[in-house]
Amino acid sequence: MPKYEPVLLKNMVQPGYTGSLADYERAGGYQAIRKVLGKLSPPDVTNLVKRSGLRGRGGAGFPTGVKWSFIPKDHPGPRYLCCNADESEPGTFKDRQLMERDPHQMIEGMILASYAIGVRTAYIYIRGEFALGAKIVERALSEAYQAKYLGEDILGSGFAVDIYLHRGAGAYICGEETALLESLEGKRGLPRSKPPFPATHGLFGKPTVVNNVETLANLPHIVNQGPEWFAALGSPPKSAGTRVFCLSGHIKRPGNYEVPMGITFREMIYEIAGGMRTSKPLKAFIPGGASAAFLTPEHLDVKMDFESVAQAGSMLGSGGVTVMEEGTCMVWAAQNLLHFFYHESCGKCTPCREGSSWLLQILERIEHGLGHPKDIDTMLRLCPNIAGRTVCAFGDAAIAPILSTLQYFRDEYDTHIREHRCPFRTEPSQMQPALTAAGMH
Amino acid sequence: MADMVNVLIDGKPLAVEKGTLVIEAARRVGIMIPNFCHHPKLKPDANCRMCLVEVEKMPKLQTSCSVLVAEGMVVRTDTPEVNSAHKSVLEFILANHPLDCPVCDQGGRCDLQDFSHQYTPTTSDFIDVKRVFKKEYFSPLIDKEMNRCVQCLRCVRYCDEVVDAKALAPINRGTMTEISHFSSHQLDCEFCGGCVQICPVGAFTSRLSGFEFRPWMMKRADTTCGYCGDGCSLTLQTRGQQVIEVMSAYGEGRNNGDLCARGYFGFQYVNHTERLTAPLVRQADGKLAPVTWEEVLPLLAERFTQLKLAHGADAIAGLITARCTNEDLYVFQKFMRLAIGSNHLDSSARYGHVNAVEALRRVQGTNRWTVSYEDILQADALLLIGTQITFANPIVGLKVKEAVKKHDAKLLTIETGLRSVETTSNIVNLSSVHLPVAFDRHAEAVQGLIKALFDENLMDSGLESRSADFVAKTKAIISASSYPDGIDASTLRAIAKTFAAAKRGVIIVGQDLLQAPGGYQAMMNLTDFLLLLGKLTQPGWGIAPLTEENNEQGAVEMGATAGYLPGATGLENAATRERLVATWKESVPPTQGMRLLEMLEAAQNGRLKAMYIVGENPVRSLPASSHVTQALKSLEFLVVQELFLTETAQLADVVLPACSYAEKNGTFTNSEGFVQKVRQGLDPIGDSRPDWEILSAISVLMGYPLEYGDTREILKEIRAVILGYNVLGIKAEPAKVDAPTMERYLAGGFAEDLAQRYRAASAHRADWTLRLGQTLFHSGKMSTMAQGLLEIQKEGRLYMNPADFQRLHLQAGDRVRLTAETGEATVGVSPLGRIPEGMLLFPESFREPLAPLLRVTADPVTGVPYHKLQQVGVQKVG
Repeated sequence: MPKYEPVLLKNMVQPGYTGSLADYERAGGYQAIRKVLGKLSPPDVTNLVKRSGLRGRGGAGFPTGVKWSFIPKDHPGPRYLCCNADESEPGTFKDRQLMERDPHQMIEGMILASYAIGVRTAYIYIRGEFALGAKIVERALSEAYQAKYLGEDILGSGFAVDIYLHRGAGAYICGEETALLESLEGKRGLPRSKPPFPATHGLFGKPTVVNNVETLANLPHIVNQGPEWFAALGSPPKSAGTRVFCLSGHIKRPGNYEVPMGITFREMIYEIAGGMRTSKPLKAFIPGGASAAFLTPEHLDVKMDFESVAQAGSMLGSGGVTVMEEGTCMVWAAQNLLHFFYHESCGKCTPCREGSSWLLQILERIEHGLGHPKDIDTMLRLCPNIAGRTVCAFGDAAIAPILSTLQYFRDEYDTHIREHRCPFRTEPSQMQPALTAAGMH
Repeated sequence: MADMVNVLIDGKPLAVEKGTLVIEAARRVGIMIPNFCHHPKLKPDANCRMCLVEVEKMPKLQTSCSVLVAEGMVVRTDTPEVNSAHKSVLEFILANHPLDCPVCDQGGRCDLQDFSHQYTPTTSDFIDVKRVFKKEYFSPLIDKEMNRCVQCLRCVRYCDEVVDAKALAPINRGTMTEISHFSSHQLDCEFCGGCVQICPVGAFTSRLSGFEFRPWMMKRADTTCGYCGDGCSLTLQTRGQQVIEVMSAYGEGRNNGDLCARGYFGFQYVNHTERLTAPLVRQADGKLAPVTWEEVLPLLAERFTQLKLAHGADAIAGLITARCTNEDLYVFQKFMRLAIGSNHLDSSARYGHVNAVEALRRVQGTNRWTVSYEDILQADALLLIGTQITFANPIVGLKVKEAVKKHDAKLLTIETGLRSVETTSNIVNLSSVHLPVAFDRHAEAVQGLIKALFDENLMDSGLESRSADFVAKTKAIISASSYPDGIDASTLRAIAKTFAAAKRGVIIVGQDLLQAPGGYQAMMNLTDFLLLLGKLTQPGWGIAPLTEENNEQGAVEMGATAGYLPGATGLENAATRERLVATWKESVPPTQGMRLLEMLEAAQNGRLKAMYIVGENPVRSLPASSHVTQALKSLEFLVVQELFLTETAQLADVVLPACSYAEKNGTFTNSEGFVQKVRQGLDPIGDSRPDWEILSAISVLMGYPLEYGDTREILKEIRAVILGYNVLGIKAEPAKVDAPTMERYLAGGFAEDLAQRYRAASAHRADWTLRLGQTLFHSGKMSTMAQGLLEIQKEGRLYMNPADFQRLHLQAGDRVRLTAETGEATVGVSPLGRIPEGMLLFPESFREPLAPLLRVTADPVTGVPYHKLQQVGVQKVG
């Protein structure tokens, strides 16, 4: 019996719920569009969303209604809506479940958003690896078309929208909104310089809104139960609503948990996710996906909302909470994450492209006992040369694990270097070094 | 006048146009912000992060290459933080950059070296392993050393945005991002050398000059290209007596630093081992033997004098190539007219350009363009007819591409081509409206265009009242005919309408129209089209005929073409004659001069006894059916002045070694009319001499001394003789339409040949039309002596539409037999997407196999020898 009433996960936790259009309607779905299409004006819908205080659930947390209002009113169009379903942040798997188990919730949200913004053609950019999700979403779209919830003259309101599903090809960077747009346009998924922003120059150069799956999934509920209801949930006024947090790592019950924002990490980890998996105590945790700085046991009582986590020196980010127990090597953890970032760096800009590979090489050496006393100073010198100097936030994300583990676990690094070994390992690491002299590819 | 914005850069105040990038604004006050990926020709990419600067009120450092100036902006490019940022980017690049400087051709002219020298410490903290790419063969002319690449993507962006060939692309990602090409074979592209020129480091280098030099070892001569009529500025880099490399600096010349394969890789004919290095005289045993200048010059003077006395000056004719400089051409015609005393002189401008010259002179009073390349860039409609521009005149092609891609010009094309994405760029891919026509039907398409003009009611109303007769008669005769069979009328009307609606429009016309039978009349009709629209005299509007060879305008303007005096006036022009007499202190022969075909006929029947041929090769240029060999053999005396022992030179009694453009000074006049300097980069090879010097030396011995100290003295005389040549010089304004000439034409001149010009074409059409045409990698025979270009294209293959290719059950490597009344030829054949069905294109630089097949007809008005089109039968061989 969940302690907190789920909103987004409500349908899918019911036994026998298949996510079909029939099931969704039986559960009260597609009522929001009936309330809105042709009944409220599009600006009214935007204001409604503004009043709800909904903030983006992809990682950046930008107020959704405000983002919509950046679309220039007098632009001849066309305008586009892109649903960012490229979920690739390590430790994050909520969008996947939302799409696989209750796709119509997202689709209804997209219809509402399209109406508010004035969109005729919308896209779902889904991560290429989500093969099952793509199948399910395609089926759901076809159900929605059959029910005439998509296409021309929906519910006789005169409003029309088409939604196309586009599958990515395996690049984390395509979750960055401008890289997503480039990929959708058929080009290499490289981020664009901002300004200009997608709101004025987005897909094919036209005004575009990019929203996360979970953000869109909230819209039917905000319409059905009213923006005041939503605004009172969670941790108003800045962190309204629920969030689906993804718990992973050394805990008893990893999985997706929907809770109102504002509960503590302690409650989340120990009460809701069942606590640590063994008797080993918690050593560190990542609060919001691989781009978020590591936090320590002293941060367990920090509230899970945007401002509190930012004040603690990290970010709520994508909601991916990864827990590490005592005995986990922090150098290894940083190396593990840097390996991801090195692999996913798009290569467009110099600091991230060369920096991520250089930093990974240093970490690999340190972890494998080949560290040099200068290495830590080098890393501390390189990281600020990447931060704020790159085309997109990937660069800032890539250095977060290094800077935060150095901040809280410096002694571990020193031990690795001084003793020419990883003190947490009795036998050699399973992970093959990608870039050291041993394993250059 | 654009809106101006006031900014402060490093304390220096500056007012710049709104829309200027900060990096460009800084350059204006002499501040060079370091960068790799920025280039004024390319859209900002902001990927190298080298150009970061501090902008007040913006929290992070900003890339100056992508930020536009704003009113009151304060920029600092030299703070400790900014310098630290530059240093850090270099540190990142150098971490993986190989220490190749000792073997890298970019050494000494490398941005990475220069910035490292400026910003970095001498030691590095990088103690890890550098990433390496597997070295692979990239192409015969361009080498790729991927380890050196800084992933600035300038090469990819240049090939995409400027050349529109899109031959390069990045593959993979992260630090293993590799620049590759779109095929599983070696690089196949335009080989314009643009990627080599634009690469800031040594990732792309030219294989022609690999490892041969350090930049400071070479001498530089800024000169003008000797291939096509686009007139590109290029810099010859030489060492000793070798041309090592060619480059073209950004911002230089009419080409703005862009070159094509011919310009960039085609210089090796200059140092070819087969260059003639000594005069040759045919001996008693029939063989040519080398002699000295001291021996041959008196021989020539004597023989010419003898022939004059025996048969009269009219028995001697001269033929010169339009590849020579203006100074060569001027001295040549003066030599023929004064020393020899004959007006029988012609140039290779006769092969097609004369059609354009005659038509434009007749209607607008000048052979010059009334527009320039800038007008092409600023046009909002461009109409291309018969240009094959990406093959024949690629740099003007770049202007067209820029106009369309950067300035939203509407491109309208009437070309023998189809939309097709291939390894080289294809201009019709950028057209708003494209009308494919057969190689020999451009003239009909022009007539259709005029009919469309009337059907769409696009006539200029002012013209209708002022020159009612012209409009009415033209309308009457065109209404009596129908649209050409098989050419889509609605497309013609769309083209006419779109062109007429533009604010500034340029018609660019090429050799497919000018070298086809009826070329002169087609050109006349095209000029009528612009007249009828009322646009001929409007600023920004004009007709721009492209020339194949580098100095065809000069060949006409220097009077080195039959029927012309210097200044491109006719022989009868009294004012010109007066000026010539005043300057030359001699009178000009009064008789009309023979044109090329007339000369050959006269040689054949014995009226012509001698010819002096400079740089031309009619034995090869004209088909077998013209019997040129026979004609030349009938002469008593044949002198050929050449770079190589060509087919024509092999028949000569005397062969004289001439200098290439790399070994002399002078000027070329491009299609536009820009007179540009040719500067010597090498000493004359062997005993060769500049063409004008040889003529001058003979003239002295003949008693008609045409003596000049240097080419500047010749140019001075040219300016005295050609009125207004100073104005038509290097910083030219385009010429203006001569109103009286135009009025005369409109008042009644048009009627002289109206009926002939608007005559219906013959209905008979064969299944296959063969065109001997220019292709991108070659120009004339000269380019086939350039080893670099032969690496890309070493022989002629017939290009055929892919569906036709399949229909004939052809495969790669197959040959076909072409048959016509005159004869037959067997050649290799390849499919090419842009060739329309039923059309065949064969590269004219390799025309020898087709010699038995073609025949010549002469234009009744201009004497242009049409010989590059043939209806044929095609059969698979074997």
